[in-house]
Amino acid sequence: MANEDHDALRSQLEFHGVSRRDFLKFCGSVAAILGMSESMIPQIAAAVEKGARLKPTLWLHGGICTGCTVAIAQVDTPDIATIVLDILSLKNMTINMASGDDLERIVADTLEDAENDIGFILIYEGSIMRGQGGNALREFGEPQIDRLKKKAEAAEAIVAVGSCAVDGGFVAAKPNPADAIGMKQFLDEAGIDTPLINLPTCPVNPEWIVATVINVLILGRLPEMDSFNRPSLIFGHPIHDLCPRRGHFENAQFVYEFGSKEEELGYCLYPVGCKGPQTFTNCPIVRWNRRASWCVESGAPCIGCGITSPKAGGNWVDVNAPFLKRHRDLKIGDMRIQPSTAGVIVGAAAAAALVAHGLGMKAAGRMDGEGAPYEEMKECDRKKGGGK
Amino acid sequence: MRVEVEVDGGVVKDAWISGSLFRGLEAIIKNRAPQDAFFISQRICGVCPVSHGHASSMSAEAAMGVQIPEGARLVRNILEGAQYLHSHILWFYTLAALDYVDPVKALQANIADTYALAHAAGTRVADFGAIAKRLSAFVERGQLSIFANGWFGHPEYPADMPAELHLIGVAHYLEALEMQAEAATIIAVMGGKFPHFMSSINGGTSWVPTEEKLDDVKFRLAKVNAFVREAMIPDTLAIAPFYLDALKFGGGGGNFLSFGVFDDPSFEIDNRYMPPGFSEGASLGLDTVDIDNVKEYTEHAWYSSPSGLNPKVGETVPAFTEYNTDDKYSWGKAVRYKDLPAEVGPLARMVVAYVKGDEAVQDLIDSTLAKLGAAGKPEVLVSLLGRVAARNLETAHTATLTEQFLNDLIAAVKAGPLELFTPHDITDGEGYGMWEAPRGALAHYMTVKNRKVDRYNVVTPSTWTCAPRDAAGRRGPMEEALIGTPVADIERPLNVVRVARSFDP
Ligand code: SF4
Ligand code: SF4
Repeated sequence: MANEDHDALRSQLEFHGVSRRDFLKFCGSVAAILGMSESMIPQIAAAVEKGARLKPTLWLHGGICTGCTVAIAQVDTPDIATIVLDILSLKNMTINMASGDDLERIVADTLEDAENDIGFILIYEGSIMRGQGGNALREFGEPQIDRLKKKAEAAEAIVAVGSCAVDGGFVAAKPNPADAIGMKQFLDEAGIDTPLINLPTCPVNPEWIVATVINVLILGRLPEMDSFNRPSLIFGHPIHDLCPRRGHFENAQFVYEFGSKEEELGYCLYPVGCKGPQTFTNCPIVRWNRRASWCVESGAPCIGCGITSPKAGGNWVDVNAPFLKRHRDLKIGDMRIQPSTAGVIVGAAAAAALVAHGLGMKAAGRMDGEGAPYEEMKECDRKKGGGK
Repeated sequence: MRVEVEVDGGVVKDAWISGSLFRGLEAIIKNRAPQDAFFISQRICGVCPVSHGHASSMSAEAAMGVQIPEGARLVRNILEGAQYLHSHILWFYTLAALDYVDPVKALQANIADTYALAHAAGTRVADFGAIAKRLSAFVERGQLSIFANGWFGHPEYPADMPAELHLIGVAHYLEALEMQAEAATIIAVMGGKFPHFMSSINGGTSWVPTEEKLDDVKFRLAKVNAFVREAMIPDTLAIAPFYLDALKFGGGGGNFLSFGVFDDPSFEIDNRYMPPGFSEGASLGLDTVDIDNVKEYTEHAWYSSPSGLNPKVGETVPAFTEYNTDDKYSWGKAVRYKDLPAEVGPLARMVVAYVKGDEAVQDLIDSTLAKLGAAGKPEVLVSLLGRVAARNLETAHTATLTEQFLNDLIAAVKAGPLELFTPHDITDGEGYGMWEAPRGALAHYMTVKNRKVDRYNVVTPSTWTCAPRDAAGRRGPMEEALIGTPVADIERPLNVVRVARSFDP
């Protein structure tokens, strides 16, 4: 049986043009994203080959822009990801071939499988729309939210992909006309205790989905998570600590105008509003679109789309807007500190600092949707040419 | 989106399209900084965020009276072109191809004949033997993943289309997965990431083209464009003859609207590389476009706001009642041009460019019509097959334009120094950006008061395409196009799906 599975996997991989070498490279990148050592690679490979077919994956949609679905198609070494997801028997409602009732039947079959103990992982994309009696999003002629409960209960684990699924995302920004919320609030209010993994950013970084799902398969349990259900290995450090422009930040070499000489020199984007210091993701390491680039590399500041609010009703837009204005200093616990030192503290005790980070944000008044206070040009900035 | 059709005697007699999602983005942008609209509004759509971002920045720039510099114009055109390539490749192969190509039938292909057919059709070869072998293992295992419950073996796949052509289609379907990612990577290099890019900030671009990055873009664009020319176009021409019936249905009302896309150095809307225009009915005459001719009707949509307003003064007050096709049945407003429903998207752009006399577009269309045995009859394009073909021909046209923009940018960088951003103050004002997303005409409207957005409104391509009936009871473009569609199997209405999908809603 095991051999048959191996052969099946091999033929699947070959079907998608994936060599053994590519496959091991892929396992290496999973290890890197999850912060595991290279010695884990053979174990990851064996786990993927042996165990990956155990869990069908049902990918459902709330109020979406389809961005997270498009994002998964941009994953590095896409064929391998396709395979991993094929083996997971990925059923995505947009890219699936089926239509209408046949699509509905796929969902029904998966739920039936769950009753037969095969189980499934639910990947959820988009905001949960409560507005207009749930009719802000209709599915098969009914409020979508009414149909979600049963599926959420039946799933073995839920992965909320993208900021919308995590806390409502930009859809939930003030005044939240569609009354959107994220999965955690939905589960809490409905009294459902299915384990939840939150993967914010807008859209989700596809590398994280693959790594997270494989992590669940390898270890047979959930990854280590922070207080907001985010895998600590992915969301444990501020972007600022990982940013290639950090040296310029320390040397006070800044970009004051987009598309300028300073940008060409790769200076730091803090004065034009970079939210790298308060955003906890590994974007600079994992990067985007098969590692081709990431936001700061295009000369634009991080707008903090990976920030999640520990308070119900918070979301990255209300926390970070106005995006092109620099926020005042950060608060961690009782301390008011500059971002350069924030990184060191957080690096030392990631989990504790994350909690403190959340509290600090709250204390600084950023969670009430008014947007952060921002500071005017400083004297030292002006000396460096910022006042022109 | 929900499609409801009434079928009588094996043919669609009536159709209703219902938009199923209300997010109220306009309200979210109101009261924020005008520059924030670029970052928020592009998130309307994860497939065409670049177009939304550009229309948003244009509306803000118009409101502040800012002109972006030449360097930023070229950077934005290349970003837009790359998104067109991404979107069209993704649509044709990943979303639509398997409505026309049956992987199960591909299993019967003779491998030697497949190579011969690929050569004859002038399309790319792949390792067809290996693909067929793995395809059969894939199908036999029954783990169909995203192919699960597809309608393979459906009677509306043409009986005479050779298995070998099905296999070629499957091979290129797989290659296209790679190519759409490559096209998206161009956007990432120039805009940080895709979907949802970062660099077309109000006033220009934040991306500084360096020699190394330009090389990178050039290499990737060449790879994508080669696929378009060597696979996508010949595939279209090889498959189309088996679907000539699809020239007889799926056409719709015959009014076409384009706002124009890809600015030239004058930034004049009428000088855009893909021209604007409105073509009414069979006359194929052409009007210039005027934003004041756009109106949104709410008689059949779940809003309590007044009907018949221009989007500049439009209001969006949600009020769900019930789904009732005689009354209100959609979250989409019925947007009309000169009070007429209008098709938008690649077919509309190609018709407008053709009528306007764009030589490159005329050559593309005329030569294609000749190959399909319809020389001198451009009116057959108003059909399901015409709409599919138009999107693919536009892909080839966009490939050429984008190469040109890139060459212009490289020349400008060499001539340097290049202006990329116009610094500006936020002032009060009003502006709009009329543009074309891959799916069609798009407009963002912004009013700024006290340095904050006071009014924001977006009319998306889907609002045009998936519009419900208007005050006069006239159907929307997709509703109209579905009338007359043959349905062989009411449980599996493949042709209905093909027509709906041809709009890329
Ligand atoms: S402020 Fe932003 S650009 Fe500057 S070092 Fe930190 S993360 Fe990088
Ligand atoms: S760098 Fe910032 S804005 Fe960009 S994806 Fe990461 S968290 Fe979001």
